Amino acid sequence: MKKSRTFNRKALLIASGLSAIMVASVFYGSRKLQNFDAALITYLFGTVFAFFGIVYRYSVWLQRPPTWLYFKRSMQFLFKGKVFSHFWFLSKETVNNIALQRFIYPRSQYRWVAHFCIALGCMSAFAITFPLTFGWIHFTLAPGSISVYEAHFFGFKVFDFELGSLIAFLTFHALNWSSWLVIIGSVYYLRRRLTNPGLIATQTFEGDLLPLILLIAISVTGLFLTYSYQFMKGFAFDFMAVLHAVTVIMFLIWIPFGKFFHIIQRPAQIAAHIYKREGVQRGMAVCEHTGAEFTTQLHVDDLKELTRELGFDFDREDGTSHLDLSPEGKRSRLAQAHLKARQEGGNLFG
Amino acid sequence: MNYTNFNRHEEFFVDMQRCIGCKACEMACAECETNGQETMIHVNYVDRATTVQTTVQVCMHCEDPVCANVCPADAISQDEFGIVHTANTERCIGCSNCVMACPFGVPKKEESFDLMMKCTMCYDRTSVGKKPMCATVCPSGALFYGTKEEIEEMRPNSTAVNSFIFGKEVVNTKVNIMMPKGSKELRIF
Amino acid sequence: MAKLPVSAENIVKLFGPHKNYSPKEGFEGRDEPDKVVETHCCFCGMQCGIKLLVKENKVVGFDPWMEFPFNEGRLCPKGVQRYLQNNHPDRLLTPLKRVEGQGFVPTSWDESMNKVVTEISRIQLKYGNDAFAMLSGVSLTNEKSYLVGKFARVALKTKNLDYNGRLCMVSAGAGNKKAFGLDRASNNYSDLEYAEVIIVAGANISETFPTLTHWIWKARDRGAKLIVIDPRNIPLARTADLHLDVKPGTDSALYGAMLKYLVDHDMLDHDFIDNYTSGFQETIDAVKDYTLEWAEEITGIKKEKIQAAAELWGKAKTSFLLHARGIEHHSKGVDNVLGCINLVLATGRIGKPYCGYGTITGQGNGQGGREHGHKCDQLPGNRDIENPEHRKYIADVWGINEKDLPGKGLSAYEIIEAIHRGEIRGLISICFNPLVSLPNSNYVRAALEKLEFYVCIDFFLNETARHADIILPGSLQEEEEGTTTSAEGRVIRIRQAVTPPGDARTDTSIILDLAKRLGEQKRFNFENSEAIFNELRVASKGGTADYNGITYKRVEDEMGVFWPCPTEDHPGTPRLWEDKKFKTPDGKAHFNPAPYKLPGEVTDEQYPITLTTGRVVSQYLSGTQTRRIGKLVDQFPEPLVEIHPNLAKEYGIQQRELVRVSTRRGEGIFPANIVETIREDTVFIPYHWSGVKSANQLTPGTLDPISKIPEFKVCACKLEPLREIAPASSESTAYAST
Repeated sequence: MKKSRTFNRKALLIASGLSAIMVASVFYGSRKLQNFDAALITYLFGTVFAFFGIVYRYSVWLQRPPTWLYFKRSMQFLFKGKVFSHFWFLSKETVNNIALQRFIYPRSQYRWVAHFCIALGCMSAFAITFPLTFGWIHFTLAPGSISVYEAHFFGFKVFDFELGSLIAFLTFHALNWSSWLVIIGSVYYLRRRLTNPGLIATQTFEGDLLPLILLIAISVTGLFLTYSYQFMKGFAFDFMAVLHAVTVIMFLIWIPFGKFFHIIQRPAQIAAHIYKREGVQRGMAVCEHTGAEFTTQLHVDDLKELTRELGFDFDREDGTSHLDLSPEGKRSRLAQAHLKARQEGGNLFG
Repeated sequence: MNYTNFNRHEEFFVDMQRCIGCKACEMACAECETNGQETMIHVNYVDRATTVQTTVQVCMHCEDPVCANVCPADAISQDEFGIVHTANTERCIGCSNCVMACPFGVPKKEESFDLMMKCTMCYDRTSVGKKPMCATVCPSGALFYGTKEEIEEMRPNSTAVNSFIFGKEVVNTKVNIMMPKGSKELRIF
Repeated sequence: MAKLPVSAENIVKLFGPHKNYSPKEGFEGRDEPDKVVETHCCFCGMQCGIKLLVKENKVVGFDPWMEFPFNEGRLCPKGVQRYLQNNHPDRLLTPLKRVEGQGFVPTSWDESMNKVVTEISRIQLKYGNDAFAMLSGVSLTNEKSYLVGKFARVALKTKNLDYNGRLCMVSAGAGNKKAFGLDRASNNYSDLEYAEVIIVAGANISETFPTLTHWIWKARDRGAKLIVIDPRNIPLARTADLHLDVKPGTDSALYGAMLKYLVDHDMLDHDFIDNYTSGFQETIDAVKDYTLEWAEEITGIKKEKIQAAAELWGKAKTSFLLHARGIEHHSKGVDNVLGCINLVLATGRIGKPYCGYGTITGQGNGQGGREHGHKCDQLPGNRDIENPEHRKYIADVWGINEKDLPGKGLSAYEIIEAIHRGEIRGLISICFNPLVSLPNSNYVRAALEKLEFYVCIDFFLNETARHADIILPGSLQEEEEGTTTSAEGRVIRIRQAVTPPGDARTDTSIILDLAKRLGEQKRFNFENSEAIFNELRVASKGGTADYNGITYKRVEDEMGVFWPCPTEDHPGTPRLWEDKKFKTPDGKAHFNPAPYKLPGEVTDEQYPITLTTGRVVSQYLSGTQTRRIGKLVDQFPEPLVEIHPNLAKEYGIQQRELVRVSTRRGEGIFPANIVETIREDTVFIPYHWSGVKSANQLTPGTLDPISKIPEFKVCACKLEPLREIAPASSESTAYAST
């Protein structure tokens, strides 16, 4: 298998550039660090580093010929005619695949529920913690009040609420809710991974178990912080705070390299769907062996080019390609070739 | 991964001329723990109108797998034993590149899951030294899993071949096909 | 009384067939079963070893049993999926009674048993004992087969007991008895390994006995030549050295011509013929005019091929001849079998290593079940019910007066005819679905509707049971202990993996309870299946099928024992006739003349095409079990009529076009499957389906005069294309058709 090179100048440039923009937006988004919470500095470094890594990895990934094919094609389709129709399709797909992860449901409803819990927990936690870390969100007491809080975003006031109100309860405990969701989902998956023989055979500790353990660790330590100052008079708070920071930063830095990269990768699924939809409209390929449609002609044509680019040559002398056959057609042709070879060998058995 | 007992001496041998099309392998494959009641092996009539010839196809576990090369999501990996694993569920985006590019027609798109699935040579069994389910139940010897010595003893008139010629492309695989004695390769076209 | 209480569709809704599938990741507990039970497949005569996984008294999966010598883990698709029956939504859990207008409603064991006993007494008092008949089946273990035989004669006191083996290998049994004086495959299958020539006649091994393929392929690896005789180019024939595409109903002409060729070219074992056989001269006289040309004319096989087959067979030093229903399901099934045996005897290749002959028994316990007395003319140990000595011996074992032992009764299809004539008024059945498996199903249905009382014991509500007054929920093979005898003659152990679910009971306990209620408790006092087997051993002692030396312990320890095994220190007999002492009265193997005769029905202007029937790999017999297993249904969702392209062209039939196939007995509509792998003058329909999709609506009730086997394999039909393409197979509901 041709491995992509580890050092990639283009990716380095893109990642460095985007990271610089990000640092700038932290600087200005927090009103020149005026709203920045210094206690979160370690988190900030972790996040910036993770961001750099993600962009770098994503750029490397996009440059792989098959990935680039989908990226290029979906950009072509998206911005060429029927923009409204594309936009509608895109929104629908985003809700189904990214927000709801509907494709997991047929695999197993329990798996879907568990995954949805984790996804919802993580996404809401990201939505809260990143802006907090960047100083893009901060809370202040309303001027002249001791019970009304104001929430600010990029330094602009967004809304206010009464201390002790339901909104206050939900807002201040938002991360706790996320933690519980993540724990529920992760424990389900951990149990499944520890008992399902098929998974036991194929999983790795660092690839499959560690991410779940890490998620549980982040959530548990996070929850402990709340309960420590609420119910236990700050018992072991500092220790837990450090532990929480360590797990979170590990998580962040690991995103580009491990299992969590799928969060970043998943939107590509929509690209595949757009590609298929557009392809169907352009026409299907018919297998010369079975006489049945099997995929889009666009797909076959692109794959011929792609395989060639990757160094494979499935062309036949008459200008057609082995890839013009459906999977069933290919299997049948192999069997026919085998039959012919056996016949030429003089005996079907041996 | 639990590969402590993977038997490096045992190999997969296929002879589709022995296949009787019974589909015991398909049923048994679905009992394999790695693919939850979905069958990964393919049995199909070659051309039913003219013949009862059937063919049986497991993943050939190519040395340089086309499927993994054309995967835009890096979802297909190959391990140290040469097993080409099924799509990593969290990465696979269901694009079907592998399904359409595999020269042997092996990977299968599970539409409802939006996921590609393929034969992992019964990794749950082979990784603990057992034989794959399909080769265990196959009543006709079209599928055999064992050592080179065993197959040579059983099929004195055949040679195991793992090189396939598609025009100018040569695909070498982990899985063998039984060919007339002395054959070096199987030319598809 | 025995009309359906509500529409068949309504019965199907409640009782199936419904398709059962494993849950997406297998049944709960499959990876950590409570026990792993080494037993055997419940389906065909191969009786492959298999391990069942049990969790909380439910069968949740299987594992290959690598150590069992016949199949070493190999299985067919039916075997792989056989575990889906115990854990099935259609499984009957309580006794049911027929209520007009309501269907089948649950009832108690007491009420249902009382009803059964009352009706038996009423009918027998009014019309005589023989007016109550019993139909049984050979998916039952040896113990149950024996028990049914004893029950019918001693408790039910009827002579009219027969079984579905009547549709299976009775022609072979009758032929073997005539030729060898004993009815068993002469060899076990390991004798195939070094056979130089193998003839497979009328046996679609690759679909009906898939695991036997291994042994044939193994022989071919050692250089064996394979000759397949079949009207269709079946998977086994595709790669065979010779495929003789015989016209259905002409088999004996082929064997006759081959025998003549052997005689003319002196490819005979004179020493064997002279010293160990009789009847040779009459037999070859009967075929003296059977030239190759004549045979080509009759059988439709090119004479060069017949000659090549005879040459191969004649010159071989070792050989094995296998046959099955393809030559046996004929009005001259016994003649066909004798024709095969004549070829074996003429070359003297029997009773020696790698020299074999045998029928491939179709049903799970087709071998054992046909030895222990639930045939209308038979007593345990394969004894003759009309032989005074045999009667005396069994009467003594059973503790009854010999004159109270009923005589020979009617065979399965004759029982149906007797119901039509009003001679039989009541029926009890177990393990038999005659509405699907007997020929001429419209006639069978009319008979069922005439019955005054019908009680059915089964684990699923099969099509015939819909006509019952009482249905008693019995047991699956994996729900009771016992033994069966595989097609090789190997007695093997069937294990109780789970107990019957709900209020269902074991078949044995139902029969014992009925016997008790019929006032025969003291003769039916068995503690367990082993006790029944031990009585069977005594009953079979001295008979041709002698099980006396076989014990449960030996069967378990030795992974099966081959009968005959007269004493406990006898090793069993994997290969018969090594001593060349045959079981015929004169101790010799008998040649029997087998002249060619026309089949019971021949084609004419009105019905110009030959119809033959058979099986597909994913279904088993009448489908009571396999039409309820999802993946097996999906593999072959509906019966198709196979038509050669030239014939299809003549009628303008297209692929998957609906074709009405009619015979003098009925008609059915089937999608066409246009394939070059069948003779041009013949069409083929598999028979596993019910109602309007049943091939047996078309088949004739013509019986072989000796074996009484119906002629399923040949009749005359006509085709009528309907100019309409059938919906996709995947949408078919044929598995539950009414």
